Amino acid sequence: MTIGNPETIAGLARAELSLLIDIGSAWTKAAVVGRTRGRWRIAAHAAQPSSWDEAELIATLAARLAGSADPRVSGRLGVLLADAPRISVHTPTRPGRIALAAVSSELSGRAARLAAEAAGWVVVEAVTADDGRTVAERLSALQSAEVDAWLLAGGFDAEGGEGALEMAGLVAAARGGGRSPVVWAGSAALRDQVADFFDPGVLRPVANPRPSADRENPLPLRRYLDALIERLVERGAARQLAPIGFGRAVAELARAARLRILGVDLGARYATWASADENGIADSRVVASGGLASPSLTLPGRPARIAHSLSVAIDGLAVADALQNLRARPGSLPQTDEELAIVHAAARDLLGELAANGPATGGIDLLIGSGRTIAAAPVPAQAMQVLLDGIRPIGILQLAIDPAGALGPLGALRDDEIVEGLGMLRDDVLTPLGAAVVCQGGRPGHPAMRVAVRRAGWPALGPIDVRPGQVEVVPLARGQVAELEIELDTSATLGAPRRTRRLRATVSGGAVGLVLDARDVPLQLPRRTDDRRAVLTSWREAFTREASL
Amino acid sequence: MNGVSLHRVHLPRGTLVSVRVGAAIRPDEVIGLRRGAMAPVHVPLTRPLHLQPSEVDAVLVVRPGERVEVDQPLALVEGGRAVTAPLAGLVLSVSRRDGTLLLAPLGPEQPVISHVRGRVRTIEEGALVIEVPAARLRGVGGSGDAVHGELVVGVPSPEDELRAAAIDSGATGKILVGGSRASAETLTRARAMGVAGIVLGGVLDKELRDFEAIQRRRRESGGMTGSFGILLVEGFGKVGIDRGLFTWFRAHAGRVASLFGADRLLYVYDAAPLPERRTLARVGDRVIAHRRPFQGRGGVLVALLDDLHAAQSGIPARMALVRFEDGRLAPVPLANIEATVAPTAH
Repeated sequence: MTIGNPETIAGLARAELSLLIDIGSAWTKAAVVGRTRGRWRIAAHAAQPSSWDEAELIATLAARLAGSADPRVSGRLGVLLADAPRISVHTPTRPGRIALAAVSSELSGRAARLAAEAAGWVVVEAVTADDGRTVAERLSALQSAEVDAWLLAGGFDAEGGEGALEMAGLVAAARGGGRSPVVWAGSAALRDQVADFFDPGVLRPVANPRPSADRENPLPLRRYLDALIERLVERGAARQLAPIGFGRAVAELARAARLRILGVDLGARYATWASADENGIADSRVVASGGLASPSLTLPGRPARIAHSLSVAIDGLAVADALQNLRARPGSLPQTDEELAIVHAAARDLLGELAANGPATGGIDLLIGSGRTIAAAPVPAQAMQVLLDGIRPIGILQLAIDPAGALGPLGALRDDEIVEGLGMLRDDVLTPLGAAVVCQGGRPGHPAMRVAVRRAGWPALGPIDVRPGQVEVVPLARGQVAELEIELDTSATLGAPRRTRRLRATVSGGAVGLVLDARDVPLQLPRRTDDRRAVLTSWREAFTREASL
Repeated sequence: MNGVSLHRVHLPRGTLVSVRVGAAIRPDEVIGLRRGAMAPVHVPLTRPLHLQPSEVDAVLVVRPGERVEVDQPLALVEGGRAVTAPLAGLVLSVSRRDGTLLLAPLGPEQPVISHVRGRVRTIEEGALVIEVPAARLRGVGGSGDAVHGELVVGVPSPEDELRAAAIDSGATGKILVGGSRASAETLTRARAMGVAGIVLGGVLDKELRDFEAIQRRRRESGGMTGSFGILLVEGFGKVGIDRGLFTWFRAHAGRVASLFGADRLLYVYDAAPLPERRTLARVGDRVIAHRRPFQGRGGVLVALLDDLHAAQSGIPARMALVRFEDGRLAPVPLANIEATVAPTAH
C-alpha cells in the first residue's frame, strides 16, 4: 500500500491523510484514512487508553503505517499525522441526571425510566407510590438528589388519577425553585392542574408513555428527552457525540444499502443501540449507564447471573470483584482467560438487557458490533458469539464489526458527507463476521432446521441437521456467497409472519463463516451446574474451533 | 494531586447557606442550615368550610410545593372563614377524594457541614465550591458519607488485613488506614466504635455489600448514629496499598484528613506532596499492576516490547516487561500498569 502523492510541495512529497477519532471514556480509537491507488482507504488504526497522550497515539499510528507508506513520506509520518485534518467524536463529558417520580414502579415508572435511560439520562433517584418508603423519605430522597431535570409520570390519559397529582406535589415540594425543568409525562387530563404547581414555563408536557393499561407509547417522551439532554448538558455539540454519530452512520448505511440494520456500540460507560430500516429511518437508544463499567453490572444478583452464564467454574464473588475492577479501571485490559470470559459474559448480559427493553430484534438484515469488547475481541468468533448470545436476533442475517471505531466519527459528518464518507470507505469500515440463521423453538429429538449450503465452485454441504440447543459453524470465507435451502421443523420459526417451512436465502461469508443456531430465543440452559457448563463449553467450542464441516 | 483543589459540596434543596464567598472554613464548621420534612399530616379542609371535596380547588390559596408558615391561610371562603396551617411545612397535595390537604411539617434545623478545610470560592444553585489546600488522593472505589478526622495507620504492613480485633476506642473519630482488605465484621465493628472512616488497598465486593446491607437495616430500624466513609485506593479483592503510598500515610499519621466515600476522595491537610501515579509508564519507572494475576504488585518496568503481543487472554496489546518485587519477570499489558512517581521527582 502506498500513501502519498507524486506531486510535491517545496520538494516534499505530499500525503493525503485524515484521521477519524473516537475519544471514549476509557479508550480512544483512531483510524488513518489515506489515498492509495486513487481510492480512499483506512490505512491503519489503533486504540489506546484515553488517559494516554495524543503523541503516543500518533506514534503508534505512524509505526503501523511505516511498513506500507511511500518511502518519500515514511520519515515524516508523525508530523503528517499530527497535522492531518481530523473528524472526531467523543463520549459525553457527563451524563444528564434526572429524578423520576411516578405512580407505579411497574407501569408508569418503568415506561418513563426506560424512555429516560434510552435517551442517555441517568436516573439518579426514582420514587414511586409503591416503593415502600414513607412520604417523608421520598421527599427527603428527592431533595437530596443533584439533578438537571425532573420527570413525572403516572395516570392513564382517560382517567387522570389522584396518585399522579400527589407525586407532582411531591416533586414541587422537593424541587423548590430553581431553573431545572420538570417534564410531565403523565395523564393528559391532569396537565393543566400539574402546571399550576410550578412557575410558568417550568412544566414541559409530553405525551404519556403509558396512556392506558394495555398500551405503551415511549417514543415521544424519548425524543423529547433526547432534545432536552442536548440543550441542558451538551449544548450545541450533539453531532460530535459518539452515540449520536454512531446512530447517524447506521441510519445512512441502512439507507444506502437498502437494508434493515441494527448497530450496537458497547463502551465503558455508554451503550448505544441504533436500528434503521431500508429507508434510513432510525431509532437510537443511548443508555448512559449501559456500558461495561456500569454500576448496574455489580448490583446484587447480577454477578451471580453472569457467573451462571460462564462455561468455566468462576464463582459469583470473583465475578463481582472482576467487574468492580473493570469499573474502577475501565482503560485496563482483561489479562487472563478468566477475566476475558467474565467481560464477554458481562457484554452478553448487557446486550441481552438492551434487547429485552427494546422492540423485537427479528427481521434485521445486518447486525453491527462496535466498542472494544466486541470489535477488538481476540478471535472474531468471540465477537460473533457475544452478539448472537446477547441479542438473539431471530432470522437470517449478516454480522459485522467496526474494528477501527470509524462509524462514530463518520456519523459526525454533515448529512451529505456521511454518504460520501461511507461510500468511499465501504470496504474498510466494517469487517464481516459472516452470516447466521437463528431459529426459535424446536422439538426434542427432531432437527429444528435442516440446511443445505450451496457455494459457487465448492461442493454442496448438507443437508445439515441442527437440533434444538445446537449451534453449528459452516466455513464460508469473506466474499464467498452461499445459497441456503432451509427446512424448518413445524415447531420452529425464523420470525417470519407466515410459518413458512421451506425457505431460500443468499448469504455471504466472513471471518467466522455461517452460523446455524438452533439454541432457541432466549437461550435455554440446563439447571444443573455441570450440565450447564458442559452445554456452554460445547457452544464456545462450536464457535471457536476451525469450521470443519 | 498536590496543591489546591476545588471541592464541590452538594447542598440538599432547602439549605440556607450561612457562609460567604471568600470565607475560610474548617472541616467541622456549619456552612448552612436545613429543615428536613417530617411525616406529613392531613389537614381537613371540607368540614370546617362546609364544602364538598370536589369544591376544594376553588377555595385553595396555596398550591402543592409551597412552603407555609404556622397560621398561614390554606383555604378561604366568602365571609372570611378560613383553614390555616397548624404548623410550618411544605404543602404536598390536596385530595379530591376526602378533601384534606397533605402538609409535611419541617423538622428542627439541621446543620450542614462541609467536612473540608479551605476557602469558599463560589456559591452555586445547590452547591458550594471550596478551594481546598491539601494533598488529594482519588480512590478507585468507596462507600458512605463525608467524614473528617485524624489519620491513623492501623496495620503494620500494607499487605496486612485490617482485623476487627485491631480496632479499639482509641480509633474513635479517626480515619484509619488499613491494609489489603477488611471483612464486613471489621467494618461493622469500626463503625460501632465510632471510627470516622477507613482507607483500604482493597476489599472484597461481597464484604462491602454485606457491610452496606447491615448499615441499611440499621438505618431503617433507626439504630444508627454518626457518619462513616470507606475509600479504596487500589482495587477490589485482597489488594495491598502500594508501599510508597503506605509510607506516605505513615509519615502523615496524626494529620487531619477529610474522606468522601461516595466521591472516592481523601484530602490530607498540612501534608507533603503525595506520590503520584502516571499512566503510560516508561522504561525504568517503578510501576504497579492493576489486573490479575499481578493486581496490586509493584515492580520496575524493564522493557517495552515492540509491536503488539497477545496477553494470556489473547487480546493483542502493547506489552511491558516488568520485574516484580518478588523477582518474577513477566509481560504485562502497558494499559494495566501505572508508574508510581515519588514526589521528589517533580
